[in-house]
Amino acid sequence: MSIGGRVAPGDTTSAGRGAPPEATRLETPARPGLRTGLWAGGLTLLLAASVIVAVTVGPAGLSPADVWASVLAHLGIGEPTLTPLRDGIVWELRMPRVLTAAAVGAGLALCGAVMQALTRNPLADPYLLGLSSGASVGAVIVIVLGVGLLLPVAAFVGALVALAATLGLASAAAGRLTPTRTVLAGLAVTSVFGAITSLVIFWSATGDSYREILNWLLGSLAGTDWTSVAIAGGAVVLIGVPLVASARTLDAFAFGDTAAAALGVHVGRSRVLLLTGTALLTGALVSVSGAIGFVGLILPHAVRLLVGSRHRALLPLSVLAGAIFLVWADTGARTLFDPRELPVGILTALIGGPVFAVLLLRGRRLS
Amino acid sequence: MPVRRSPIVAAAIPVVAALLLAGCATGAAGTSPRSDAASPASSGFPLTIDNCGTEVTFESAPERVVTIKSSTLELMLALGLEDRVVGTAFSDGPVPDEFEGAASGLEVLSDKVPSQEVVLAAEPDLVFAGWESNLTAEGAGDRDTLAKLGVATYVAPAACKGEGYMPNPLAFDEVFREFEEAGAVFGVPDAAAALVAEQRAALDAIEPSDAGLTALWYSSGEDLPYVGAGIGAPQMIMDAAGLDNVASDVEDTWTSMGWEAIVAADPDVIVLVDAPWNTAAAKIAHLEQNPATAALPAVQQQRYVIVDFPSTEAGVRNVDAVASVVDQLASLGY
Repeated sequence: MSIGGRVAPGDTTSAGRGAPPEATRLETPARPGLRTGLWAGGLTLLLAASVIVAVTVGPAGLSPADVWASVLAHLGIGEPTLTPLRDGIVWELRMPRVLTAAAVGAGLALCGAVMQALTRNPLADPYLLGLSSGASVGAVIVIVLGVGLLLPVAAFVGALVALAATLGLASAAAGRLTPTRTVLAGLAVTSVFGAITSLVIFWSATGDSYREILNWLLGSLAGTDWTSVAIAGGAVVLIGVPLVASARTLDAFAFGDTAAAALGVHVGRSRVLLLTGTALLTGALVSVSGAIGFVGLILPHAVRLLVGSRHRALLPLSVLAGAIFLVWADTGARTLFDPRELPVGILTALIGGPVFAVLLLRGRRLS
Repeated sequence: MPVRRSPIVAAAIPVVAALLLAGCATGAAGTSPRSDAASPASSGFPLTIDNCGTEVTFESAPERVVTIKSSTLELMLALGLEDRVVGTAFSDGPVPDEFEGAASGLEVLSDKVPSQEVVLAAEPDLVFAGWESNLTAEGAGDRDTLAKLGVATYVAPAACKGEGYMPNPLAFDEVFREFEEAGAVFGVPDAAAALVAEQRAALDAIEPSDAGLTALWYSSGEDLPYVGAGIGAPQMIMDAAGLDNVASDVEDTWTSMGWEAIVAADPDVIVLVDAPWNTAAAKIAHLEQNPATAALPAVQQQRYVIVDFPSTEAGVRNVDAVASVVDQLASLGY
């Protein structure tokens, strides 16, 4: 099921009702189905391989065979060869962390692709509409009050409050939701919520509790457990699938609101629904990992350079690429400076920037 | 490039200056050069010291002192100098019982780092800071700015971060040297010498654990624990208590350490830092909540040792912290 309006029923490839078919054709590479299928298959295999390999890497120095025996034992196959303590490292620390990384990377890349289409802004990312600053306010308040258990809930509520404020402000100011108004309203909300976060930190800089806040603000997958997997994975499945299914609506948005309306899309309603879906997904992701930058901004562009900007290919491939990328970035974060940990946001920017630059240069040569 | 002196050379400067000016060159016989700092007479002014790379000259002993953080206040109280404290700030918790009476009348300027104006309003002639970062324009004031206003600054030397100034590793000899340096600054060398003698005796009387236990010093952090590393006060206290720090390889005072590395290290005991904003009980609850850490034998058998946060920074409570750790290890059956 797709979120929002649909392109004219029964008309899948060429858009009906006065749409510009030549524009659609320009966006479509030769034999898009086959090429997308190959990419999707390849990336799925690569993601599976990444998870299987990443779970064997870590400061504890366990052998891959032991790690896989542990994982299989928990899946009901065979017996673990590790001591219960080391088995716990595999199944309670590493496995949830690798899976959370995959889910968060997938979700962030998807949200980024959707946000970029909805706002027709190549700089859009999942945090655009004040989402991460809202989530941060919720989380920072909880950390200061010392109620650790409620942190994901607080971050989630903070993100939703920020989104409501942004959408309310944008529609009150403009009467209807245009991309520019939404982005500007988001900027206003972001700065207010950012200031509140700084205020709370300033007011509460007691002993070393500020470290926890900083770690959270930088974005980190440290400390993730099976609850994190459930939150992030559940959100990616429940919200991500409808988002991926709305690819054609997003294609229509790419031509502008008027053209999208001509294509039969309920522009206003679809935009609110898709923005809310993105916000819910981002809120869930931020609540487990903090605001990890760069993945949502760069991955969709990278995928676009490889397969073009049709959302039917872009969205699922962004999901896969985002998952693979964050699994490896986080593996680096937790092992490069063993026994210390690097905030993963540093690595996502450090790897993501150059990779994107290479793709950009390659894309220019090809075109 | 500024000339960096080693802590030992830096330590020797006030000693030499004091000895020359006092015209009395009889240091305590048979002690290391460092402990000679006990000998400057109270007439050893003007006194110039190299404090974390900043030269500070005292024409006379400071009479109006603002202390920032608990470690500096407690050192003043231990030297019997409460009458010279015109304001305290950014305390990490209540002072120990023995100082309660002396501290009761002191004015608290701020719960956090005070602003420059708040500090100046107390009209101090010295700001005695526990961290270098307390003395910035955003905090109590930049050192140079304060100096221009006639306010001297002095940072607890153990908190110096600059290369050649950061104690590496921190040792009790260095902590005691700092007491002596403070004694010279405040013109109370006898009180400092007495304090050092008392603490050295107390330290020598402690029988460190010989059980060969490994330990994790868990200071704060839930997702990413912040633990005592290889060269700071936690390492010093654990060494003196006979504990083998699982994070001793990291050349830093404190460090972040992932849960996987902690579980893999499987410490025999866990030292929990208790602070009002981050209690030992909260850390125990967190350790018991995650199945991986809950499986640690130290967690299952509640092999916890608890230390107060203010006693975990270099200062007059470190020796007590060692004694307390050893006592708690004994009651755990070691």
